[in-house]
Amino acid sequence: MLLEVRGLHVEFRTRDGVAKAVNGVSYAVDAGETLAVLGESGSGKSVTAQAVMGILDTPPGRITGGEILFQGRDVLRLKEEERRAVRGSGMAMIFQDALSALNPVLCVGDQLGEMFVVHRGMSKKDARARAVELMDRVRIPAAAQRVRDYPHQFSGGMRQRIMIAMALALEPALVIADEPTTALDVTVQAQVMELLAELRREYRMGLLLITHDLGVVADVADRIAVMYAGRIVESAPVRDIYKAPAHPYTRGLLDSVPRLDLKGRELYAISGLPPSLTHVPSGCAFHPRCPMARDVCRTDVPPLHPVSEERGSACHFWRECLDGRDH
Amino acid sequence: MAVTTEPVLEVGGLVKHYPLTRGIVLRKQIGAVKAVDGVDFTLGRGETLGIVGESGCGKSTVAKMLCHLERPTAGSIRFKGEDITGLSGRALKAVRRNIQMVFQDPYTSLNPRMTVGDIVGEPYEIHPEAAPRGDRRRRVRELLDVVGLNPEHINRYPHQFSGGQRQRIGIARGLALRPEVIVADEPVSALDVSVQAQVINLMARLQSEFDLSYLFIAHDLSIVRHISDRVGVMYLGRIVETGTDTEIYDHPTHPYTQALLSAVPVPDPEAREVRERIILSGDVPSPTDVPSGCRFRTRCWKARERCAREVPALAVPAVLREAPGPAAHDSACHFAEPLPVSRPPTARAVPPAETGEPAGNGSGPG
Repeated sequence: MLLEVRGLHVEFRTRDGVAKAVNGVSYAVDAGETLAVLGESGSGKSVTAQAVMGILDTPPGRITGGEILFQGRDVLRLKEEERRAVRGSGMAMIFQDALSALNPVLCVGDQLGEMFVVHRGMSKKDARARAVELMDRVRIPAAAQRVRDYPHQFSGGMRQRIMIAMALALEPALVIADEPTTALDVTVQAQVMELLAELRREYRMGLLLITHDLGVVADVADRIAVMYAGRIVESAPVRDIYKAPAHPYTRGLLDSVPRLDLKGRELYAISGLPPSLTHVPSGCAFHPRCPMARDVCRTDVPPLHPVSEERGSACHFWRECLDGRDH
Repeated sequence: MAVTTEPVLEVGGLVKHYPLTRGIVLRKQIGAVKAVDGVDFTLGRGETLGIVGESGCGKSTVAKMLCHLERPTAGSIRFKGEDITGLSGRALKAVRRNIQMVFQDPYTSLNPRMTVGDIVGEPYEIHPEAAPRGDRRRRVRELLDVVGLNPEHINRYPHQFSGGQRQRIGIARGLALRPEVIVADEPVSALDVSVQAQVINLMARLQSEFDLSYLFIAHDLSIVRHISDRVGVMYLGRIVETGTDTEIYDHPTHPYTQALLSAVPVPDPEAREVRERIILSGDVPSPTDVPSGCRFRTRCWKARERCAREVPALAVPAVLREAPGPAAHDSACHFAEPLPVSRPPTARAVPPAETGEPAGNGSGPG
């Protein structure tokens, strides 16, 4: 296993009390595999990824439990220097907003080249040459001329390509992409996702894709983990989950996507709002919004029940949900 | 474009150019950002017209002009037959009552220092004739109830509500003056998936309850299809294709619409292999330097010489005129045809050689 997150807990101290952003999350990514972590804002999907990458702001954040095994080593126990060596060459991250993730006062060539200077000890000149190669690789037109341009001189799609180039510079084993195309238009999104898939195949990287977009997940993921209020509520191979979700939250998300055959009718809407992380509901955190909630859901936190060998659902009544008897 | 009901809004040749100037003392115009460059459409009573397009295509500028937040450079906007383009003062104010706007971002479009009651009731301050002073509080409570908020929360501030609830506040404000037209600019794109459906359902219910006409602007194609009777696709300041939702989504004839639709990720993993995707190359050209002829030609796999010379008109293409069917709708392309006839040679579209490098600098006005 390339990456294994086991029982991760992350808290944030806020003025309103302790916000439990991540409550015992476990998932694994194999080499060459794409795991999509799906969730809405506040579900803890990005915080988990930041903890894996080692870029969580501490304080206010605090990892209170669990381990993150990367190529067999628990990265939470590494010293900061060792951790830095893992970042970049072992794992790299692609952020949502390239304009704020790139340094506005350095030209892109310097930012790309920095990876080679710092991690590989290359000279500035060689690093610049590698930067041009990389920009070519992610299909930025006229790379040799544009290497001296600054981030603001590129369009949104081109900036995102530069971020991808930067993440792939040292050919890491794992790439974490946090909403990599959310800020982009659909035609550009299609370009960027295709590029990412192609490069992933070529380098046999593991990809951890953080997203809220059910369409993007269906397009690229092998497996999917659905998060709600800091927990994984369902995890399954991507085909299974779209065919028959085993958790009412997943079902609700899938049903709320407008569909052709339901035009003109009311969309299915999950009632209520996502919970505040400082006051996560007792028992199953989804119970106040769940159409099939019963007494036990208010008191007992459901464990991740094994639905099949590769599948789990954190619902007491996953069998009923799987059969479509919930609503 | 066929409108089944009587038209409420008629827009003709709408243009908005933002001048680019140089010099401080001797200001000289050196060009223009052509945000909207000749847009025509009609909106019928009780109808929803969806406008889709990518960022910088001018869809938000159209919305602003309809609400008189921007003055058009040219063209006309008629409300129930009356030209309202050049109105000002009292006459403008009277018309504005009937065309209200719902904004995209429920976080910045509500004044954080005003209570919900003041926000929703503010339109009555501006249009005192709409409701007698003593009755306003009651009306605001009623509006909150209509949009699914607790009327007891009338004294709360925007930060005490979630994103979806805030969007409901924005909708209540839009409804306060009982307008006939609501212009909604990306009303759900800032919301979480599970909350989007709630707001869409609310808007659909309000439409039948108050006999509203919607101009619904969004970039999410599946949501636009769900709510719209007719759809217009915009590219670089112009509508390139328009028709009923079935005509546009199932029988697109403009290459841009075809590419746009094929790029939308479908929430069905089974479709992954069978789906044919048209991936456009390059970026949208800058609206300061619009290509000659057809503005899509720099990214189009069908582009030929004629496309650089002649601007294609938005009309039913000649080849489709003989055979009435869903493919025979307005499409601004010289070589418009339904999809299966001609697909790009490979999945990747190659731009014609003479166009050079796609403009990649900056992005146009959102």
